[in-house]
Amino acid sequence: MFQKESITVDFMIRKLRDRVEVAVESVNAIDADREVTESNLHRPGLALAGYVDLFTFQRVQILGNTEHRYLRHLDPADQEQAFRNITQFDLPCIIGTDGNELPGRLVDLATNAGIPVYRTELPTVEFMASLRAFLEDQFAPQCSVHGSLVDVYGIGLLLIGKPGIGKSEVALDLVERGHRLVADDVIIATKRDEQILMGSGTDLVQHFMEVRGLGLVDIRSMFGIRAIRFQKRIEVVVNMQLWDPDKEYTRIHMVEDTHEILGVDLPMVQVPITPGKNITVICEVIAMNYLLKHYGYDPAEVFGERLRARIRDNPEGASRRRVEYFEQDFE
Amino acid sequence: MIERELTVRNKAGIHTRPASMIVRTASKYESEVFLRRDRYEINAKSVIGVMTLAAEKGATLTLVVEGDDEDDAADALEDLFENGFGEEI
Repeated sequence: MFQKESITVDFMIRKLRDRVEVAVESVNAIDADREVTESNLHRPGLALAGYVDLFTFQRVQILGNTEHRYLRHLDPADQEQAFRNITQFDLPCIIGTDGNELPGRLVDLATNAGIPVYRTELPTVEFMASLRAFLEDQFAPQCSVHGSLVDVYGIGLLLIGKPGIGKSEVALDLVERGHRLVADDVIIATKRDEQILMGSGTDLVQHFMEVRGLGLVDIRSMFGIRAIRFQKRIEVVVNMQLWDPDKEYTRIHMVEDTHEILGVDLPMVQVPITPGKNITVICEVIAMNYLLKHYGYDPAEVFGERLRARIRDNPEGASRRRVEYFEQDFE
Repeated sequence: MIERELTVRNKAGIHTRPASMIVRTASKYESEVFLRRDRYEINAKSVIGVMTLAAEKGATLTLVVEGDDEDDAADALEDLFENGFGEEI
């Protein structure tokens, strides 16, 4: 498992501009090599007012309308005193939102304390939501997983199994049938939220794939844009394994096992590999079954209920032919 | 389980040829073989995985081997690294 412990303010601001497309201006243009260590943000209203017990100064400090208006209603000497209450700490940076501007003297105070100051036109709530989402992604736990991740009918199927069992071949077959490859062999899983796991490839490998006996193939150049995607939530794990006669495989319910990655329990289907078995079609069925269940239809439950009703209401009869008699062959 | 630190000694690092040598060697054994570099732990029986490490000369990788023939597998891989994959050091 891997988790970033800190990022620099400079990196955060650059990524905010480039990737999140939030316009953030630098106000005092000093070296922003200070570190941000957590995804929470803080609005230092109480600290400005002088109460600094429990002040979470290590967080990015956001000055919205309230803080700016509070500062403005003070006379200049008190303003500086209020601002010193926060700049006495090692703040990573100060960001003014909603187009607010800090008075020049206050910016100088921050500059002298080595604290970078930024401003944005974006409303406070909107800006904080974007910044928090970005920081949460940066500090999210990550790990690498050996397998193939394919989007099958919109469901992220993670194929796992021993090397050489044929994960890449199944992924290739799925791509050939119109599904989309996220990554093969090395998948970086990122935990987003308690129960959400996102998967993507690595920047080096992208959509290259090794097929035994052929070597490396580039799925993107070969199949085009429709065959790939960059990220996908991992929703179902398909565990491919050699058929083991001593092992009990599920016969009624498709999903009984779970597979844990980064503390997220994913439903897992055990798929035994036997000669003549078309794993690609099985994968499509797994995805469709997951979709059906998601929309409230569980075939095992429906069939079970049908069987119970038959036993209850019709004690004399085993199953009969579906049609009474072949009157006309409509079909 | 065996864990060993291995250093890449050849000049060109683990490019495609050394990567396939590692995979070929690791695949000879029943044991599970992993290589770790900072954030990545990859299966050493996957050539894409090994190349993902993008290991240059001097890089240190952690070899993790687990299984019945783990001693032989670890020794064989250590030899490969020691010899710089038969390339210029």
